[in-house]
Amino acid sequence: VSIAPVEVERPEVHELPAADTPWVTIVWNDPVNTMSYVTFVFQTYFGHPKQKAERLMRDVHEKGRAVVSAGSREAMERDTEAMHGYGLWATFRKDD
Amino acid sequence: MGLLHFGERPFTGHRRSVQVHLDGQERAVLVQLLTQLDDLLDDGRAPATDPLAELLGLCDLSGSDAFATPTAPPEDPAVARLLPEANRDDPQLATEFRRLTEIGLRARKRSGARDAAASLQRPDPVQLTTDEAWTLLKAITDLRLVLGERLELRSDPDAELLHRRLLGGDAPDEWLATASIYEVLTVWQESLVAAMSRRRS
Repeated sequence: VSIAPVEVERPEVHELPAADTPWVTIVWNDPVNTMSYVTFVFQTYFGHPKQKAERLMRDVHEKGRAVVSAGSREAMERDTEAMHGYGLWATFRKDD
Repeated sequence: MGLLHFGERPFTGHRRSVQVHLDGQERAVLVQLLTQLDDLLDDGRAPATDPLAELLGLCDLSGSDAFATPTAPPEDPAVARLLPEANRDDPQLATEFRRLTEIGLRARKRSGARDAAASLQRPDPVQLTTDEAWTLLKAITDLRLVLGERLELRSDPDAELLHRRLLGGDAPDEWLATASIYEVLTVWQESLVAAMSRRRS
C-alpha cells in the first residue's frame, strides 16, 4: 500500500474534429404562425414531449430564433425542407 | 365579420378523426381560398392536375426541361414566404438548396391545397383522418402566411395592431376584408390544432 498519489487515468475529452462540426437547423420567429401551431409542429416532426416543444417555441418567439436540430448537412437540409413544408421559416448552416 | 360567423367549435377531435363543423358557406369560402392558393403557386412549370407533378419536377433537375430550375426567390413576396431562402448568410447555399427543393416543395403545397379543398367538399358529416387534418392545417397555415404578407405583417407588434385596427373598423374596405379573413383563419387554425392535439393525448 502506498500513500503516494495515485495516477488516475482521466478519460480524454474528445474535441470534434473540424470536419465533423455538425450543421444546425434554425427556426426564425414570424408574426403569423401561432405559438400553439409552432409547438404542435415541434411535437409532431421532432417527436418532442409537449414541454420541450413549448420551450423551443418560446425561444423562437422571445429570442427571435432557435436551433431546433443538429447533425449532418443532409439531415439539416431535410429538416429545413420539412419546416418549410409546415410554413415555418427555417435555415441551416454550419455550427460555429 | 360580415358573412362569416364563428361557430363555437369549428373542429373537434375524436379518437381516430377530426370532425369539421364549419357550415356550408364557411367551407365554400375556405375551398375558394385554397383554390387561390393552388393558383398562386402555379409557376407554369408542372401540370397542376398531374399527380406525378412532383416526379416531373424531379425530371426538371436533369436539365432536359425547357424551364430552368429555380435559383432566385420568387418575385411575389407572398410566394417567397412560402418558399423561403434556406440560408441567410451564404447565397450560394441558399441557391443550391432552392435548386434541389423548390419544385418539390411547391408541388406538395399545391397538391395539399387541392386535397384539402377536396376533403372539405365531401358530403356531411365531414371527418378527416390525421393525414387529411395535417394537410388542411398546413394549407391554412400557408393561406395565413400569404394573407399576412399582403397585410404587411412584419413583426409581432404588427400582428397586434392588426387586431386593434380590425376592431376599430376605420380602414379601407379591401383591407378590412383581407384582415377579417386572416382573423377567421387564425380562429379556425387554433381550433384545428386543439382538435388534433387533444386527439394525441
